[in-house]
Amino acid sequence: KMAAAGGLRRAGWRLWRARRAVVRCPQYPPRCALQASAALRAPSDEHKKEPWASSSQQHFDSPPAGHQPEQKPQGPYPSYTGLGGQESEDYESEEQLQHRILTAALEFVPEHGWTAEAIAEGAKTLGLSVAAAGLFHSDGSELILHFVSECNTKLSELLKNEQKLVQLGRAEKKPIDEFLRDAVEARLRMLIPYIEKWPQALSVLLLPRNIPSSLTLLTSMIDDIWHYAGDQSTDFNWYTRRAVLTAIYNTTELVMMQDSSPGFEDTWRFLQNRVADAMTMSNTATQVQSTGEAVVQGLMGAAVTVSNAGTSRAVR
Amino acid sequence: VPGAGAALRPCSSRVAQDGINKPVIDRIIRVDHAGEYGANRIYAGQMAVLGRSSVGPVIQQMWNQEKNHLKRFNELMVAYRVRPTVLLPFWNVAGFVLGAGTALLGKKGAMACTVAVEESISEHYNNQIRTLIEEDPEKYKELLQVIKQFRDEEQEHHDTGLEHDAEATPAYSVLKTAIQLGCKAAIFLSERI
Repeated sequence: KMAAAGGLRRAGWRLWRARRAVVRCPQYPPRCALQASAALRAPSDEHKKEPWASSSQQHFDSPPAGHQPEQKPQGPYPSYTGLGGQESEDYESEEQLQHRILTAALEFVPEHGWTAEAIAEGAKTLGLSVAAAGLFHSDGSELILHFVSECNTKLSELLKNEQKLVQLGRAEKKPIDEFLRDAVEARLRMLIPYIEKWPQALSVLLLPRNIPSSLTLLTSMIDDIWHYAGDQSTDFNWYTRRAVLTAIYNTTELVMMQDSSPGFEDTWRFLQNRVADAMTMSNTATQVQSTGEAVVQGLMGAAVTVSNAGTSRAVR
Repeated sequence: VPGAGAALRPCSSRVAQDGINKPVIDRIIRVDHAGEYGANRIYAGQMAVLGRSSVGPVIQQMWNQEKNHLKRFNELMVAYRVRPTVLLPFWNVAGFVLGAGTALLGKKGAMACTVAVEESISEHYNNQIRTLIEEDPEKYKELLQVIKQFRDEEQEHHDTGLEHDAEATPAYSVLKTAIQLGCKAAIFLSERI
């Protein structure tokens, strides 16, 4: 009897959510969907600083709390990732539901592009109404940001595991250029299944509305790569290194869009050359600096000698 | 990849990042790092002018302590993965110019500059200690300890400056106010940029 009641409740819950998706969008301006994207930060992720997510997420989470009580008469509005406590197993937060929908939608992106159709298809596979796509913006911004965020999380995990292996002595520590090259390549390879539609995604990410979020995601990814590469700079080098790596990443990404060689080998060769250029530039800069210092010291020495010679001649 | 040799090590030791108020800690470490960096440059400027005078050893000793402070904040910056302020090159020059400029006013001028700066820094550290205690004294115990110790040492520098006739500088109050205004602006900017 309990199981049947639970099943009915679950079905009613799903229907209610789908209905609410249709009802909500006219009521709230498109801003709500933007804030939905803000809430899409992966819950277990701790590496990234995403200040843009935190404040708008809280703002967004409070309106739904008003709708919950008649469904689940529980306490304050929590964000559960799993079983436990007095919550029933399929109680999930708005953010988790959107997360699941977008993850499911990714499968349909190669076919439909980064659009509401892909989201609708994704919602269908979860047993939700296609109207769930109304929760999101029609240009697929949230889907793309979600995808980028997921890729960055995967990259962090990858780099963290690599670091563990090195710490345990089970792997060799890579030289810096090889590390950077491998990290950028690993990250760009995640685009391969979606490469056809990626130019569209890039243009959406460059919309003024999306720039704060996409910039934050980009900078935190680059910072992560440098962190695992072992960067410990506390001076202006911190900025120089990140700027250089960002340039390498962006240009390689653009090359990849145009690359039709087998296995993207042209892209990886381009990446290798850019990283090598960066290393050369840095070595040259160090050399120029030490040469400059030596020259200055030489001049100072010459000046002192000349002035000493002058004074000794004057004394005589 | 500039300076590839010096600042790269196998893997950086990290402080556990869960549960700390990242924006607040970021600001605190960033501004303190900038402050110690600037203080270093101020003393360097003073030494460049007054290094061979009678107060040279006094300034040198204070400078050595500041160097330790900077070293400690470098370590904390890496541990907490904090971004340094963009204005570092600017503080580099401004600090040196301030130190050398006040030293050119004489030994008392240099001491007046020290008094002004150290007073600003002590007050600033006290504010930070209050903030951290309000947040969670247990969680930030290590950081609190560091800041308290540094505040005490900066207070010592302040007292040393007074002992060396800082107040006898011509236009002492004007100089002090100007320098402290500059410090306030520097703190404001370094926290944010």
